[in-house]
Amino acid sequence: MSETYAGPLERIDDTRWRIPRSYKPQMRVDGIIYADDTLMETIRADKSPEQVANVACLPGIVGYSLAMPDIHWGYGFCIGGVAATDPEEGGVISPGGVGYDINCGVRLIRSDLELADVQPRIAQLVATLFDTVPCGVGRGGRIKFDPGQLRRLMVEGSQYVVRAGFGWEADLEMTEARGCLPEANPDYVSRRALERGEDQCGTLGSGNHFLEVQVVEEVVDPVAAAAFGLRVGQITLMIHSGSRGLGYQICDDALVDLRSAPKKYGIELPDRQLVCAPIQSPEGQRYLGAMRSAANFAWANRQILTHLAREVLASFFGRSAESLGLRLVYDVAHNIAKMETYEIGGRKRTLCVHRKGATRAFPAGHPEVPLAYRHVGQPVLVPGDMGRCSWVLVGQPAAMEKTFGSCCHGAGRVLSRTAAIKAAKGRSIEKELLARGVVARARERTGLAEEQPEAYKDVSVVAEAVHAAGIARKVARLRPLGVIKG
Amino acid sequence: MTETYELLEHTADMGVRARAATLAGLIRPCTAGLYAVIGQLVPTGDAQPWQFEVVGDDIALLLRDYLGEVLALFAADGQLIEIREVPEFSAQRLTVLGLRRPADPQRSIVQREAKAVTYHELSVREVPGGYEAVFIVDI
Repeated sequence: MSETYAGPLERIDDTRWRIPRSYKPQMRVDGIIYADDTLMETIRADKSPEQVANVACLPGIVGYSLAMPDIHWGYGFCIGGVAATDPEEGGVISPGGVGYDINCGVRLIRSDLELADVQPRIAQLVATLFDTVPCGVGRGGRIKFDPGQLRRLMVEGSQYVVRAGFGWEADLEMTEARGCLPEANPDYVSRRALERGEDQCGTLGSGNHFLEVQVVEEVVDPVAAAAFGLRVGQITLMIHSGSRGLGYQICDDALVDLRSAPKKYGIELPDRQLVCAPIQSPEGQRYLGAMRSAANFAWANRQILTHLAREVLASFFGRSAESLGLRLVYDVAHNIAKMETYEIGGRKRTLCVHRKGATRAFPAGHPEVPLAYRHVGQPVLVPGDMGRCSWVLVGQPAAMEKTFGSCCHGAGRVLSRTAAIKAAKGRSIEKELLARGVVARARERTGLAEEQPEAYKDVSVVAEAVHAAGIARKVARLRPLGVIKG
Repeated sequence: MTETYELLEHTADMGVRARAATLAGLIRPCTAGLYAVIGQLVPTGDAQPWQFEVVGDDIALLLRDYLGEVLALFAADGQLIEIREVPEFSAQRLTVLGLRRPADPQRSIVQREAKAVTYHELSVREVPGGYEAVFIVDI
């Protein structure tokens, strides 16, 4: 269905391309895409640059409409899109700038285990994780919350479930925003959203969500790696999940609720999926209150998934999670809108930063970076496909100057799901992965075919692009050993 | 024109194109196409009457709201809709009468988690011999 982008793209330098404001009369700022020449070939092949230009039309947008190197076609905003809007200048909040899976994100857990401890038993370990961690379409969790508990969970996020025994106090320090956005308001969460999410906290979901057992294969930045507790040969766990049905429905509800807002506030939009409202309007505040509730739900979800994984590993190796050193390295959101303060033109401005398939990448010294990492910067977790690798990066000062403290979030798809299924015909993706040293289990029949490595860009190319652009630096490469998917 | 649907390729998600001789006739293949994105869904058990009505001023948005409700019913309650009658599908109103039954967990094959029916490339238009609707489902 996709068409190629035929609009202007002006090279700024080796890793940046500009869509000039003159491209469309409604554009208020330039669009900037971060990509090298190789990535730009695939980026031009869909309409995602058009979406970067459309986002540049939003009222109150500051600086640029940005896209990271893993850009691909999304809804309203492209995936990999970043936009900051200023509430003092009529800036808007757009659910399309967050996405349906609110606070979809990634967390990385390190261990004291070595490759030799895990590799001989990886098939059994993956099978045990697969049997224990709820995954798959609509799959309910083992842990139930009554309506009152669910409400507190949406207000308090990870902090609520850690206090309930699903994790360690130290996990909170290593979670973006300490796993809780303030001013969440569950009163703005619909009954239908609660129904879709009520038994899903502590479930992985399906699609590209996963739990992966990995080994640190390469350390590029020894100082940052040491700060993050990472070393070559060490076993790590990576979890990718979000706010499940609750978040999907909150976004869907908001797109209906905000439908009349553009007309009411005199906002002209080039794409109705960019529907938005001024941040300070009642409609904007309703969405923000509900979106923050979903964000907190997602952090609680990944926290419970961490707890379940710790339980599995403790039982499997016959040692406590503490003695296995299963410590959270970091948890980052990559579908979220947050109020953050930036110095622009010598003036501090608090902006609403939309990150849609983009990861926060704060540098050394930033007060929101955990104390233990403040001398190096915030870990940026960039998962790749299940056959190649994932990357740990670290935020750099240039991110604050150029990208509102943002970086890429993953590899980005290159094959549609139907094309991936066709490409998998006559093959066993499971066997192919095994030949590459990866044990994979998936709940849905088509799961492995749709998520096969060839369906994604090489995440190393994406990581190299942000490294070269100076917005994040490469720290360590992680190779998958086993993966469970929905 | 017979009521048909086809699944469309999309980079990360899946689309549906449905065709029918009349506007009202689009509802059945659109519903079937949405279910086909999710998997192979088989109803079971007792049927309950079900009715959906939405008003507005944009025919494509009315269709999207209907499909959003059908998706949410499945996602939240595991309920499938069987269309009986579409008394009105105009730019101002969509009314659908049908039956709802639980999806059979034993015989249904759920392949994908559909997050939402999006507004992207959403369209309802007249084509030679009938009408066509296109929508994309976020996976």
